[in-house]
Amino acid sequence: MTKRRKPWLRTLLAIILIMVVAGAIVYWYVATEKFSDTKDRKAVFTVSALDFIREFQQDEKKANDKYVNKIVTVNGRVSEIEAVDTTVNIKFVDPNSSSYAIFRFQEQHIAETKNLQVGDSVSIKGSCSGSIYSEILDAYSIDFKRCTLNN
Amino acid sequence: MKKLQFILALLLVGGSLFAQRKTTTSATVSFDATTSLDALPKAENKTVIGAIDTKTGSIQFEANVRNFTFKNPTMQDHFNGERWMHSEQHPKFTFKGNIVDLSTVDFSKDGTYKTEAEGILTVKGKESKLRVPGTVVVKNGAVSLSSEFTINLSDFGITGVPIDAGKVSKKPKITVSADFK
Repeated sequence: MTKRRKPWLRTLLAIILIMVVAGAIVYWYVATEKFSDTKDRKAVFTVSALDFIREFQQDEKKANDKYVNKIVTVNGRVSEIEAVDTTVNIKFVDPNSSSYAIFRFQEQHIAETKNLQVGDSVSIKGSCSGSIYSEILDAYSIDFKRCTLNN
Repeated sequence: MKKLQFILALLLVGGSLFAQRKTTTSATVSFDATTSLDALPKAENKTVIGAIDTKTGSIQFEANVRNFTFKNPTMQDHFNGERWMHSEQHPKFTFKGNIVDLSTVDFSKDGTYKTEAEGILTVKGKESKLRVPGTVVVKNGAVSLSSEFTINLSDFGITGVPIDAGKVSKKPKITVSADFK
Protein backbone atom coordinates (compact mmCIF):
# COMPACT_ATOMS: atom_id res chain seq x y z
CA MET A 1 0.00 0.00 0.00
CA THR A 2 1.51 3.32 -1.05
CA LYS A 3 1.59 6.22 1.35
CA ARG A 4 -0.13 9.32 -0.14
CA ARG A 5 1.31 12.74 0.52
CA LYS A 6 -1.02 15.29 2.01
CA PRO A 7 -2.13 17.83 -0.69
CA TRP A 8 -1.54 20.85 1.60
CA LEU A 9 2.07 19.77 2.14
CA ARG A 10 2.62 19.57 -1.61
CA THR A 11 1.18 23.12 -2.04
CA LEU A 12 3.36 24.47 0.79
CA LEU A 13 6.51 22.94 -0.73
CA ALA A 14 5.62 24.41 -4.14
CA ILE A 15 5.13 27.89 -2.61
CA ILE A 16 8.47 27.68 -0.77
CA LEU A 17 10.22 26.55 -3.96
CA ILE A 18 8.70 29.42 -5.96
CA MET A 19 9.74 31.91 -3.27
CA VAL A 20 13.32 30.59 -3.19
CA VAL A 21 13.61 30.74 -7.01
CA ALA A 22 12.06 34.25 -7.12
CA GLY A 23 14.42 35.43 -4.36
CA ALA A 24 17.42 34.01 -6.21
CA ILE A 25 16.36 35.77 -9.44
CA VAL A 26 15.92 39.13 -7.64
CA TYR A 27 19.27 38.72 -5.86
CA TRP A 28 21.02 37.79 -9.10
CA TYR A 29 19.43 40.81 -10.86
CA VAL A 30 20.47 43.27 -8.12
CA ALA A 31 23.96 41.77 -7.69
CA THR A 32 24.80 41.92 -11.40
CA GLU A 33 22.98 45.19 -12.23
CA LYS A 34 25.26 47.90 -13.64
CA PHE A 35 24.95 51.54 -14.66
CA SER A 36 24.38 52.04 -18.36
CA ASP A 37 26.98 53.83 -20.46
CA THR A 38 26.31 57.58 -20.22
CA LYS A 39 27.28 57.88 -23.89
CA ASP A 40 24.09 55.94 -24.72
CA ARG A 41 21.88 58.09 -22.49
CA LYS A 42 19.92 61.08 -23.73
CA ALA A 43 20.49 64.28 -21.77
CA VAL A 44 17.40 65.64 -20.02
CA PHE A 45 18.90 69.15 -19.98
CA THR A 46 21.58 70.89 -22.04
CA VAL A 47 23.02 74.00 -20.40
CA SER A 48 25.91 76.43 -20.59
CA ALA A 49 28.34 76.10 -17.67
CA LEU A 50 28.10 79.63 -16.27
CA ASP A 51 24.28 79.82 -16.52
CA PHE A 52 24.08 76.41 -14.87
CA ILE A 53 26.34 77.40 -11.94
CA ARG A 54 24.39 80.65 -11.47
CA GLU A 55 21.11 78.72 -11.26
CA PHE A 56 22.48 77.04 -8.11
CA GLN A 57 23.70 80.34 -6.70
CA GLN A 58 20.31 81.97 -7.22
CA ASP A 59 18.17 79.18 -5.75
CA GLU A 60 20.07 76.10 -4.61
CA LYS A 61 17.01 74.05 -3.62
CA LYS A 62 15.17 74.73 -6.86
CA ALA A 63 18.26 73.85 -8.91
CA ASN A 64 18.85 70.62 -6.95
CA ASP A 65 15.19 69.61 -7.37
CA LYS A 66 15.58 70.20 -11.10
CA TYR A 67 18.92 68.51 -11.80
CA VAL A 68 19.77 65.85 -9.17
CA ASN A 69 20.05 62.35 -10.68
CA LYS A 70 19.34 63.71 -14.17
CA ILE A 71 21.65 63.26 -17.15
CA VAL A 72 22.80 66.78 -18.05
CA THR A 73 25.00 68.06 -20.86
CA VAL A 74 27.10 71.06 -19.81
CA ASN A 75 28.89 73.17 -22.42
CA GLY A 76 31.76 75.38 -21.36
CA ARG A 77 35.43 76.24 -21.36
CA VAL A 78 37.71 74.06 -19.21
CA SER A 79 38.91 76.17 -16.25
CA GLU A 80 40.93 73.58 -14.36
CA ILE A 81 42.14 70.02 -14.75
CA GLU A 82 42.77 68.44 -11.37
CA ALA A 83 44.75 65.23 -10.91
CA VAL A 84 43.20 62.30 -9.01
CA ASP A 85 45.40 59.20 -8.74
CA THR A 86 46.45 58.59 -12.34
CA THR A 87 43.36 60.31 -13.79
CA VAL A 88 41.85 63.83 -13.76
CA ASN A 89 38.65 65.72 -12.94
CA ILE A 90 37.51 68.52 -15.24
CA LYS A 91 36.17 71.80 -13.83
CA PHE A 92 34.18 74.77 -15.09
CA VAL A 93 34.63 77.67 -12.66
CA ASP A 94 32.59 80.87 -12.42
CA PRO A 95 35.35 83.50 -12.04
CA ASN A 96 33.03 85.93 -10.24
CA SER A 97 32.06 83.62 -7.39
CA SER A 98 34.60 80.76 -7.56
CA SER A 99 31.63 78.35 -7.60
CA TYR A 100 32.22 75.47 -9.96
CA ALA A 101 30.94 72.34 -11.66
CA ILE A 102 33.27 69.33 -11.45
CA PHE A 103 33.11 66.22 -13.60
CA ARG A 104 34.27 62.72 -12.71
CA PHE A 105 34.42 60.55 -15.83
CA GLN A 106 32.92 57.08 -16.18
CA GLU A 107 35.54 54.31 -16.03
CA GLN A 108 35.36 53.49 -19.76
CA HIS A 109 35.59 57.20 -20.72
CA ILE A 110 38.48 58.33 -18.51
CA ALA A 111 40.86 58.21 -21.50
CA GLU A 112 38.79 60.98 -23.17
CA THR A 113 40.24 63.50 -20.69
CA LYS A 114 43.87 62.80 -21.66
CA ASN A 115 44.17 65.43 -24.37
CA LEU A 116 42.04 68.11 -22.73
CA GLN A 117 43.66 71.42 -21.85
CA VAL A 118 42.63 74.45 -19.85
CA GLY A 119 40.74 76.81 -22.17
CA ASP A 120 39.31 74.07 -24.41
CA SER A 121 35.61 74.41 -25.28
CA VAL A 122 33.98 71.11 -24.44
CA SER A 123 30.60 69.49 -24.00
CA ILE A 124 30.38 67.06 -21.08
CA LYS A 125 27.46 64.75 -20.34
CA GLY A 126 27.02 63.17 -16.92
CA SER A 127 24.80 62.34 -13.99
CA CYS A 128 24.29 65.42 -11.79
CA SER A 129 24.81 64.83 -8.06
CA GLY A 130 23.63 68.32 -7.14
CA SER A 131 25.44 70.92 -5.10
CA ILE A 132 26.91 71.44 -1.68
CA TYR A 133 27.88 74.80 -0.27
CA SER A 134 31.52 74.58 0.73
CA GLU A 135 32.49 76.41 3.93
CA ILE A 136 36.12 75.71 3.02
CA LEU A 137 35.94 77.54 -0.30
CA ASP A 138 32.98 79.84 0.39
CA ALA A 139 31.51 78.67 -2.93
CA TYR A 140 29.11 76.14 -4.42
CA SER A 141 30.43 72.85 -5.73
CA ILE A 142 28.20 71.07 -8.23
CA ASP A 143 29.32 67.50 -8.71
CA PHE A 144 28.90 65.13 -11.64
CA LYS A 145 29.60 61.42 -11.86
CA ARG A 146 29.75 58.89 -14.73
CA CYS A 147 30.68 61.56 -17.29
CA THR A 148 31.68 61.37 -20.93
CA LEU A 149 32.65 63.85 -23.61
CA ASN A 150 29.92 64.56 -26.13
CA ASN A 151 30.90 63.82 -29.69
CA MET B 1 58.81 96.23 -17.07
CA LYS B 2 59.66 92.63 -17.98
CA LYS B 3 61.66 92.34 -14.77
CA LEU B 4 58.62 93.49 -12.77
CA GLN B 5 56.39 90.95 -14.53
CA PHE B 6 58.92 88.21 -13.78
CA ILE B 7 59.06 89.15 -10.10
CA LEU B 8 55.24 89.21 -9.87
CA ALA B 9 55.00 85.79 -11.55
CA LEU B 10 57.62 84.44 -9.16
CA LEU B 11 55.70 85.81 -6.19
CA LEU B 12 52.46 84.22 -7.43
CA VAL B 13 54.03 80.80 -7.96
CA GLY B 14 55.98 81.02 -4.72
CA GLY B 15 52.86 82.23 -2.92
CA SER B 16 50.79 79.23 -3.97
CA LEU B 17 53.58 76.78 -3.17
CA PHE B 18 54.27 78.14 0.28
CA ALA B 19 50.83 79.44 1.27
CA GLN B 20 49.97 78.06 4.69
CA ARG B 21 46.44 77.04 3.67
CA LYS B 22 46.32 74.53 0.86
CA THR B 23 43.16 73.16 -0.71
CA THR B 24 41.88 70.62 -3.21
CA THR B 25 38.54 69.85 -4.84
CA SER B 26 39.62 66.40 -5.96
CA ALA B 27 40.38 64.47 -2.78
CA THR B 28 39.24 60.86 -2.63
CA VAL B 29 37.16 59.29 0.13
CA SER B 30 36.09 55.68 -0.14
CA PHE B 31 34.30 53.39 2.23
CA ASP B 32 34.10 49.63 2.33
CA ALA B 33 31.22 48.08 4.27
CA THR B 34 31.42 44.71 2.55
CA THR B 35 31.10 41.49 4.49
CA SER B 36 31.48 37.81 3.65
CA LEU B 37 27.74 37.84 2.85
CA ASP B 38 27.68 40.87 0.55
CA ALA B 39 30.40 42.36 -1.67
CA LEU B 40 28.30 45.30 -2.91
CA PRO B 41 28.27 47.97 -0.17
CA LYS B 42 31.36 49.94 -1.12
CA ALA B 43 31.76 53.26 -2.90
CA GLU B 44 34.10 56.15 -3.57
CA ASN B 45 33.90 59.89 -4.11
CA LYS B 46 36.74 61.56 -6.03
CA THR B 47 35.47 65.16 -5.91
CA VAL B 48 35.88 65.76 -2.17
CA ILE B 49 36.89 69.27 -1.03
CA GLY B 50 39.78 69.42 1.42
CA ALA B 51 42.00 71.96 3.16
CA ILE B 52 45.09 71.78 5.33
CA ASP B 53 46.70 74.66 7.20
CA THR B 54 50.42 74.03 7.48
CA LYS B 55 50.81 76.62 10.25
CA THR B 56 48.01 75.56 12.58
CA GLY B 57 47.66 71.92 11.49
CA SER B 58 43.91 72.25 10.91
CA ILE B 59 42.38 69.78 8.46
CA GLN B 60 38.94 69.95 6.85
CA PHE B 61 37.02 67.83 4.37
CA GLU B 62 33.58 68.19 2.76
CA ALA B 63 32.04 65.47 0.57
CA ASN B 64 28.86 65.57 -1.49
CA VAL B 65 27.04 62.43 -0.30
CA ARG B 66 25.24 62.08 -3.65
CA ASN B 67 28.54 61.90 -5.51
CA PHE B 68 29.61 58.59 -3.94
CA THR B 69 29.67 56.13 -6.81
CA PHE B 70 28.75 52.49 -6.40
CA LYS B 71 29.11 49.81 -9.05
CA ASN B 72 25.52 48.81 -8.35
CA PRO B 73 22.62 51.26 -9.04
CA THR B 74 20.23 49.74 -6.47
CA MET B 75 22.88 49.93 -3.76
CA GLN B 76 23.52 53.60 -4.65
CA ASP B 77 19.77 54.38 -4.42
CA HIS B 78 19.53 52.68 -1.02
CA PHE B 79 22.62 54.54 0.24
CA ASN B 80 21.06 57.91 -0.61
CA GLY B 81 17.61 56.96 0.64
CA GLU B 82 15.89 58.08 3.82
CA ARG B 83 16.75 54.93 5.82
CA TRP B 84 20.50 55.25 5.19
CA MET B 85 22.18 58.61 4.42
CA HIS B 86 19.06 60.62 3.59
CA SER B 87 21.22 62.72 1.25
CA GLU B 88 18.39 65.04 0.26
CA GLN B 89 18.27 66.33 3.84
CA HIS B 90 21.95 65.80 4.72
CA PRO B 91 23.83 66.42 1.44
CA LYS B 92 27.36 66.47 2.84
CA PHE B 93 29.76 64.65 5.13
CA THR B 94 32.22 66.92 6.89
CA PHE B 95 35.36 66.48 8.94
CA LYS B 96 36.89 69.33 10.95
CA GLY B 97 39.99 68.62 12.96
CA ASN B 98 43.64 69.15 13.68
CA ILE B 99 46.92 67.30 13.57
CA VAL B 100 47.26 66.20 17.20
CA ASP B 101 50.97 66.93 17.53
CA LEU B 102 52.13 69.42 14.91
CA SER B 103 55.79 68.74 15.76
CA THR B 104 55.42 65.31 14.05
CA VAL B 105 55.28 67.03 10.63
CA ASP B 106 57.84 69.44 9.19
CA PHE B 107 56.03 71.17 6.33
CA SER B 108 59.23 73.02 5.38
CA LYS B 109 61.19 69.84 4.68
CA ASP B 110 60.54 67.06 2.15
CA GLY B 111 59.61 63.82 3.85
CA THR B 112 56.99 61.27 4.84
CA TYR B 113 55.53 61.86 8.27
CA LYS B 114 53.35 59.48 10.30
CA THR B 115 50.95 61.47 12.42
CA GLU B 116 47.47 61.53 13.97
CA ALA B 117 44.49 63.82 13.50
CA GLU B 118 41.61 64.43 15.85
CA GLY B 119 38.33 66.06 14.98
CA ILE B 120 34.61 65.89 14.44
CA LEU B 121 33.10 63.79 11.67
CA THR B 122 29.53 64.71 10.75
CA VAL B 123 27.44 62.12 8.94
CA LYS B 124 23.68 62.38 8.47
CA GLY B 125 23.66 65.45 10.72
CA LYS B 126 25.21 63.55 13.66
CA GLU B 127 28.64 64.42 15.03
CA SER B 128 31.21 61.99 16.36
CA LYS B 129 34.71 62.65 17.67
CA LEU B 130 37.45 60.72 15.90
CA ARG B 131 41.18 60.21 16.37
CA VAL B 132 42.74 58.68 13.28
CA PRO B 133 46.21 57.80 12.02
CA GLY B 134 47.51 59.47 8.87
CA THR B 135 50.52 60.00 6.66
CA VAL B 136 51.58 63.42 5.40
CA VAL B 137 53.99 63.62 2.48
CA VAL B 138 55.81 66.89 1.76
CA LYS B 139 57.57 67.15 -1.59
CA ASN B 140 58.84 70.34 -3.21
CA GLY B 141 56.39 72.43 -1.19
CA ALA B 142 53.40 70.25 -2.19
CA VAL B 143 51.51 68.44 0.57
CA SER B 144 49.56 65.21 0.31
CA LEU B 145 47.74 63.29 3.01
CA SER B 146 46.37 59.78 3.38
CA SER B 147 44.51 57.99 6.12
CA GLU B 148 42.73 54.72 6.75
CA PHE B 149 40.39 54.06 9.67
CA THR B 150 37.05 52.57 10.65
CA ILE B 151 33.91 54.23 11.96
CA ASN B 152 31.00 52.83 13.95
CA LEU B 153 27.78 53.29 11.97
CA SER B 154 25.82 53.29 15.24
CA ASP B 155 27.68 56.50 16.30
CA PHE B 156 25.77 58.24 13.52
CA GLY B 157 22.41 56.61 14.26
CA ILE B 158 22.72 54.30 11.25
CA THR B 159 21.13 50.95 12.04
CA GLY B 160 18.98 48.44 10.19
CA VAL B 161 18.23 44.84 9.31
CA PRO B 162 21.05 44.49 6.69
CA ILE B 163 23.58 45.49 9.39
CA ASP B 164 22.09 43.09 11.96
CA ALA B 165 22.00 40.35 9.31
CA GLY B 166 25.70 40.83 8.57
CA LYS B 167 25.22 42.12 5.00
CA VAL B 168 26.61 45.59 5.80
CA SER B 169 29.59 45.95 8.10
CA LYS B 170 28.94 47.70 11.43
CA LYS B 171 32.43 49.21 11.12
CA PRO B 172 33.12 50.23 7.51
CA LYS B 173 36.69 51.00 6.50
CA ILE B 174 37.23 54.60 5.37
CA THR B 175 40.14 55.57 3.13
CA VAL B 176 41.09 59.20 2.49
CA SER B 177 43.71 60.63 0.15
CA ALA B 178 44.31 64.21 -0.91
CA ASP B 179 46.89 66.15 -2.90
CA PHE B 180 46.73 69.77 -1.76
CA LYS B 181 47.85 72.71 -3.87
